[in-house]
Amino acid sequence: MEIRKFIFKRLIEIFVIFFVILTVLFLLFRLAPGDPVTRMVDPTMTPEDAAHLIAQLGLDQPIWLQYIYYLKNFFTGNFGISFHYGVAVFSIILNRLPNTILLFSTSILLSAFVGIFLGKIASWHKGEKTDTWMTLGALICHTLFLPWLALILIWIFGFNIGWFPLNGMISPEIWLDSSSGFWLKFLDVAHHMVLPLATLFLIHFGSYLLLMRSSMLDTLREDYILTARAKGLTEKVIRNHHAAPNAALPVVTSVGISLAFSLGGGALTETVFSWPGIGRELVFAVSNSDYPLAQASFLLIATVVLISNLVVDVLYAYLDPRIKY
Amino acid sequence: MVERFLEGWSVYKENLIGKIGLTLLVIFALMALCSFFPPMIDPMYHPMTGVDPNISHSTSPSWRHWLGTDFIGRDILCQLLAGARIAFMVGISAAFMSILLGTVIGMIAGYSGKIVDTLLMRLADMIMVMPTLLVVLILSSLFGQLNIWTIVLLIALFRWPGVSRVIRAQTLSLKERPFIEAAKVAGASHFRVIFRHIMPNVLPLSLLYMTFRVTSAIIIEAALAFLGFGDPSTVSWGMMLQWVWKTGHMFQAPYWLLPPGICISLLTLSFYMLGRAMEEVLDPRLRKEIAQE
Repeated sequence: MEIRKFIFKRLIEIFVIFFVILTVLFLLFRLAPGDPVTRMVDPTMTPEDAAHLIAQLGLDQPIWLQYIYYLKNFFTGNFGISFHYGVAVFSIILNRLPNTILLFSTSILLSAFVGIFLGKIASWHKGEKTDTWMTLGALICHTLFLPWLALILIWIFGFNIGWFPLNGMISPEIWLDSSSGFWLKFLDVAHHMVLPLATLFLIHFGSYLLLMRSSMLDTLREDYILTARAKGLTEKVIRNHHAAPNAALPVVTSVGISLAFSLGGGALTETVFSWPGIGRELVFAVSNSDYPLAQASFLLIATVVLISNLVVDVLYAYLDPRIKY
Repeated sequence: MVERFLEGWSVYKENLIGKIGLTLLVIFALMALCSFFPPMIDPMYHPMTGVDPNISHSTSPSWRHWLGTDFIGRDILCQLLAGARIAFMVGISAAFMSILLGTVIGMIAGYSGKIVDTLLMRLADMIMVMPTLLVVLILSSLFGQLNIWTIVLLIALFRWPGVSRVIRAQTLSLKERPFIEAAKVAGASHFRVIFRHIMPNVLPLSLLYMTFRVTSAIIIEAALAFLGFGDPSTVSWGMMLQWVWKTGHMFQAPYWLLPPGICISLLTLSFYMLGRAMEEVLDPRLRKEIAQE
């Protein structure tokens, strides 16, 4: 019951935050220099289409009415028409969302698990060579400049060795061929995903490793570890069953906190690899002054951050029964 | 004060990671200083406008150009040196401003409590969930090309919440201590209590956070420049990478692709190492709260 109450409270908080973001974005798009009409309506449209869109977005109304229209349009999924693609923005971002979620969640989960696993080992060998090298390696990977790492990986594994495709998510010849089955398509996407995934993984696992290591070292000083030792349990059991689950909790929290940061990195990765996700769409929209698309992509990314934060909170509550709300 | 510093220094210099970090940092600082000399030798060594008259495409390293030239014949080494200057400038000024904001807001929130505290911390939560890079991207699309100081300011405005949380927690525990009570009884104003009595005690923590903020500021500026939203009148490392990438030289010109990326990575690494070493000097118990970015 308690946890339901907690989720409900967080949901309300998230809703309020989202509402504020929505409002700030509205104000920014209206107050920025230039005419909001030219910003939201494609200048190459026919006058009738333009008039229709202006009426739909309420751009001919006073500003407070525009705000109402804006909210109504938002909740009915009407974000206007993309300048570049010429179709409804909503369908574009809906189309890109799964690709982002696929790449992003795989990379976060993979780096968190590997980071926790390696951090556990590093803490167990504290002061030894294994620990020094792991810590140093984690530090270096963590501070690599993401787009550069992406370019280097493409250069080495895509261009020089040729193991992986240079960019994109699918090979058209496989997807257009009606005879190729699910597994072939699956393998094709996986093949394209290796390098972007490796980029995000290398950047992220280091911080989880370092955090897990120090958290593990703290946990090992606790009394119940001493008790476990006194009971004569093997070191392996103590490490994996007594210390690690508790030590992993701060890592879960940090996944939540670093999400916003990682999404920026996600946008860079998607852009360099031409991965058809929301982040790349946002960068593209901003570069080409495609304002409706930029606005919607940004809102969607904010939504993704907020929802993932909620997921992390709930996960935390589930993992740590000591927590009281 | 000096004694405390010397004591800290004696702990610090035992730290391997700290020593590596500081050495790297000194090298980069020297690079930034050296950036003033090449344009004086010959105008063709100017990082932005200097073009070698004999070269019109990217060339590999030679005696005349130690690291080669870019696509219009500008010297890569000179750009690299100038980039170090920009990185320091952006990193340190953005970090300083965000730390200033974070410290003041954190102290005020912690000290006043109640509604002010709630409001400020909710604001912090809100800003914390925004991806800074993407927010700055959106703003630059709305307000046109941003100059380097606007970018610095925006980074500072969006990077204070993490600091303010820690400073607030510290202030909460400080304000219960007897010496604060004593100051109040002696008639000190709230302003004086905050800035005269609380601030000196949270300052080391702010300083520690500053090293981590330098790292994130440099990365954000580089990423913006890489995506093509940097200040067009400056030569930053991110800008150099954008040129390699956008002009399609990344497969042909490793001498051009490698140096800027290595520099960004090493500089952020050195600040990060500095921070981690300082952390151990200041307080081993703080370890958990920091490595989160």
